[in-house]
Amino acid sequence: MQLKRVVITGVGAVCGLGQDVPSIIEGIEQGKSAVRYMEGWNQYNGLRCLVGAPAELKNEKEIPRQYRRSMGRMSIFAVQASQQAIADAGLAKESLSSGRTGCILGSTMGSAESLNDAFEILLPRKDLTQLKSMQFFQCVSHTAAMNVSQYLGINGYVMATSAACASALQALGTGYDLIRLGTQEVMICGGAEELHPTVVGSFDVLFATSARYNHTPSLTPRPFDSKRDGLVCGEGSGVLVLEEYEHARQRGAKMYAEIIGYNTCGSGIHVSQSYKEAITCAIGDSLKNASLKPDDVDYVNAHATATIQGDKEEIEAIRKIFGNSIPVSSLKGYLGHTLGASGSIELIVSLIMMEKGKIYPTRNLDIVSQECQGVYHVKEPLRREINVLVKNCFAFGGINAAIACRRVD
Amino acid sequence: MTDQEIITMVNEVFEESFEIEKEKLQPQMNIFEDLGLDSLDIVDLVVALQSKFKVKIHNDDRLRKIRTLEDIYQFAITTVLDQ
Repeated sequence: MQLKRVVITGVGAVCGLGQDVPSIIEGIEQGKSAVRYMEGWNQYNGLRCLVGAPAELKNEKEIPRQYRRSMGRMSIFAVQASQQAIADAGLAKESLSSGRTGCILGSTMGSAESLNDAFEILLPRKDLTQLKSMQFFQCVSHTAAMNVSQYLGINGYVMATSAACASALQALGTGYDLIRLGTQEVMICGGAEELHPTVVGSFDVLFATSARYNHTPSLTPRPFDSKRDGLVCGEGSGVLVLEEYEHARQRGAKMYAEIIGYNTCGSGIHVSQSYKEAITCAIGDSLKNASLKPDDVDYVNAHATATIQGDKEEIEAIRKIFGNSIPVSSLKGYLGHTLGASGSIELIVSLIMMEKGKIYPTRNLDIVSQECQGVYHVKEPLRREINVLVKNCFAFGGINAAIACRRVD
Repeated sequence: MTDQEIITMVNEVFEESFEIEKEKLQPQMNIFEDLGLDSLDIVDLVVALQSKFKVKIHNDDRLRKIRTLEDIYQFAITTVLDQ
């Protein structure tokens, strides 16, 4: 069976640096950080990390109330990012309801704020009578995929991946497979996430968050840096339009890149710690699937959340596969860790780097930590032609994913 | 509480919960056909009325017969008086 080729023809994103892709890129080019001191978080006893990268909820009333009532913050971000991606791709509205267009959006869980509200209403008096009709629709794990597909009238495959920080890459990888197999022609794929103290808490109790920079938020997270002390959570959504190559070519669509390889795998070793062996497997098999040699890759957009152990393991894996001259950078210093949305938001930024021939440096990387050395850490904007890039994502549960994209000439 | 005060509070529920403009809130309006509510909204209407008037109406069968805004005004007036 001849597998179809899959290209990316549209991108859209909302996150702490802006409400659309051009604003986010402008923020990165200006070296801005979306990380802020989060007012009110200090009321949570034991929460060490008091910084986050919040996105602004704007223009949500443009979504009609009867669609919006089932949406928490993350679904609104996802709808806005999807609308941008579809407009960018120039897809006709009717094509979304052809049965040949699907939607896969991932997230760690449903809307954290809505879950919190539901428990606050339900638990104190064990009383269901004050719950709104759509409260649980905002809480379910597939809330973003469900809301986006309902709002846009998508009636092909609709799915939600839920693998924490690898959710968006798994969504993209699954969409890629569905198009390759000829099951769908177009897939709206990506991830969404919502910032909330309960989400940050899941990392904080494991001492995986940054806690030393609460009063100097823009100095953290610090991927690969000798003074890194953990991750900073963010929020938002990134959505990409994946399309069968001939379908895109025939309608004259702009092609950001072709997806040529993808892999996801579990570590089978530990539920929260990263291991270079599993990361090596995720990246290595994505290259194998793409029939790529390590030398073919021009840039690696790292997962690198700035945890002590995760950054070290990732660099060891990258070094083992690609050697010591591969350019590597992380976007977490600008955007925070947008968790289930990080794979898609950061892939979008990486595609813009490919388009511009320019690698954005790792923000807050001043002195490379001893254990993170041995690759070409991009510390200043770097002019570099990118024909092939690899994007990594690693998640709680020992779940790793990597995707390889090639420029379309 | 006067009838007019109850009517004003019901109207506030429609403005706050269903984003319906004040001008449209006329007694004869059918809440489904004219104001655009659906069956899911009725669940939210009950929750909002309970919260607004501090009453328990979750299982009240009279709700099934409601069609117009005037029906809701009368329901609210009767309920507040009863409780």
